[in-house]
Amino acid sequence: MKKLLLLLLPFSIGSVFAQENDTIQENKKDYGRVYGGFESNSQWYLNDKGTGVNQDDEPINGKPIRSNNYLLVNYQLGGFSAGVQVEAYEPNALLNYNPGFKGTDLGTYYASYKTSKLELTAGYFYEQFGSGMLLRAWEDRALGINTALRGGRVIYRPTNNVRLTGLYGRQRSGFGVSNGDIYGFDSDFNLSSLFKWEASDLSFGASYVGRYEEVNLENPTFDNLTGAYSGRLNFIHDAFYASAEYSYKDKDGVLNAQNKLSNNFVKPGNALLVNLGYSKEGLGIDATLRRTENFKFLSEREPTTVDATSSTLNYNDKVLNFTPALTKQHHSNLANIYVYQAQTKVDFIGTTIMKAGETGGQIDIFYNFAKETAIGGKYGTNVAINASSWYNLAGDYRLAPAEYDTKFFGVGEKYYSDYNIEVKKQLSETWHTAFYYINQFYNKEWQEGGDKVKTNIVNAEAIYNFSPTRSIRLEGEHMWADADKKNWAGATLELNIDDKYSLYVWDIYNYGNDDTSKQTHYYNVGGAYRIGATRIAANYGRQRGGLVCVGGVCRFVPESTGFTLNISTAF
Amino acid sequence: MLFLLITAAAHAQKEMPSVSINSENNKSYNVKNDFSEKDKLYVFSFWATWCVPCINELDAINQKYADWSKELNLEVVAISIDDSRTSKRVKPLLNGKKWPYTILLDTNQDLKRALAIANVPYTVVVKNKKIVYIHNGYSQGAEEELYAKLKTL
Repeated sequence: MKKLLLLLLPFSIGSVFAQENDTIQENKKDYGRVYGGFESNSQWYLNDKGTGVNQDDEPINGKPIRSNNYLLVNYQLGGFSAGVQVEAYEPNALLNYNPGFKGTDLGTYYASYKTSKLELTAGYFYEQFGSGMLLRAWEDRALGINTALRGGRVIYRPTNNVRLTGLYGRQRSGFGVSNGDIYGFDSDFNLSSLFKWEASDLSFGASYVGRYEEVNLENPTFDNLTGAYSGRLNFIHDAFYASAEYSYKDKDGVLNAQNKLSNNFVKPGNALLVNLGYSKEGLGIDATLRRTENFKFLSEREPTTVDATSSTLNYNDKVLNFTPALTKQHHSNLANIYVYQAQTKVDFIGTTIMKAGETGGQIDIFYNFAKETAIGGKYGTNVAINASSWYNLAGDYRLAPAEYDTKFFGVGEKYYSDYNIEVKKQLSETWHTAFYYINQFYNKEWQEGGDKVKTNIVNAEAIYNFSPTRSIRLEGEHMWADADKKNWAGATLELNIDDKYSLYVWDIYNYGNDDTSKQTHYYNVGGAYRIGATRIAANYGRQRGGLVCVGGVCRFVPESTGFTLNISTAF
Repeated sequence: MLFLLITAAAHAQKEMPSVSINSENNKSYNVKNDFSEKDKLYVFSFWATWCVPCINELDAINQKYADWSKELNLEVVAISIDDSRTSKRVKPLLNGKKWPYTILLDTNQDLKRALAIANVPYTVVVKNKKIVYIHNGYSQGAEEELYAKLKTL
């Protein structure tokens, strides 16, 4: 790691002098540029009698100060660029992070060369084929995900309408890589310029991803190399658009409840994603349907056990593909208590709960009531309606010996639904308001174990500008829930000054909990200072235990109380 | 070491990274070379369909966009960092809101990563291929501060 940083040293000095030289010399020499960013997320976990959290017990274990830090430094000169990301989880990583992220080390490094047609990369790289159904190598620091591939990649763009990608690599897991060798090929073709279409666009693509990993079973009934194939089509004509993507995965061992493989439970997988929409000025309608069967694609077949109750799968580790929950991501605190997680994996939990995947869909409607109309008023009114419903696959299931036979159409047990409406209206130069109503069904029994919950949530928000650049935001919300932790109420007050300082206080209160000792206030108070590319934010408060989700992918966090400090900057 | 790097960066005149991403109409754009009209101000506004302040900012700019465009040679390019979970919502949303902006989709966040953006909303102003102003976050009314800044660039 040190060697790599030393390699970068002359470059950074180079650019320090570059500017000075520029002013003196007429024929300026290009020394390239250094750019990157730094992010630090720290937490100091405290004892809390109200929630019963003690620093010396699980999961804090007497290590109350924890911090995740990332320094990304790139150097670029002409078509050449190189970079490193150093990560420090010191003295320990934040609670319930992927245990592979430990200590300080070089996280990723790369060197690449790019011309107008060709791009060559060696080292770690991020990639996505199509919608990510077969392959997505990505990073999300809040979730503790970094699934970059370490190897090599070639991207070739012979014309503006063709892109070909070939890659080989092993997937990052913690500070190491997983055992599977990953081979990938992706192609993208745009035909509209070929046909000289003006109002239409037609493109298609095809992908292949192969994973080679030796099977540790005697006389295995499936191959070391698992291939997955995908084709996609995208069509736009004026205000209409449609796309479809179909993926197929070769037969492969299916994990049982103990996350082990056997020769007797071997299945192929498939996934279909269809999207249709119509959108013109003032109106947008969009519908997405997705059916996935046995479609979690891992870079290493058997997850590694972390402790008695969790494995690397619980940390979204060694996952090659990306199948996020297709539901609306709400910003309300209470609407994020029961969050759907896509059920793409075969999961046989007991005699009554056997899952082979999911099927369902989502519809969105956006409408703008124009200015100077009855509903639009002086500034116009925006309405957004969203509905989604997700189910297990219809079919026959048997626990022992494990077997299933699904039907393409129809639905099984309902996993989740969310019907919601959002109305945003500006009342005057100084008042902005918004209203949300959300109705959810969360089958906690099938997703985490527990009750099935029905909720109704209302949320109202108003922003008042008491000067052109100073505003105050007040949000109130309530959730009626018929099971689990029952009813909640919440409120947020936020003060913004000159787009530099923000101060907030918020609280959500589980007043309806049947267990009176768990009728907890989760209060938070904090602020942020922002200037240029830098943001510094501090918070004190209680974190509700449960799923923290970003982009449809979730991480479980334990209940905690304490101080948080977040710093991010770019240079 | 870190100090050196940051000093270096503070002195270097930054360029937009050369990253190619598609628009919502599936046209490929290179963010460095395709937004390079001489002396024109390009306001790259990073947003997501699930980010309320981002949408508030783009709504607020939309209210004033016609006036701003009369006084300054500027263009707002709204770069969505939505991943494939929510990127299909971009197109109906921007039409539902009558946004006139060029919309680019940074689906696997290649551009976001190249600019080391931690959170959205995040605004990068480019003039003659050089980054001349960066701001992160949005609170109601801040579009006026942005406009005042744009007039000085």
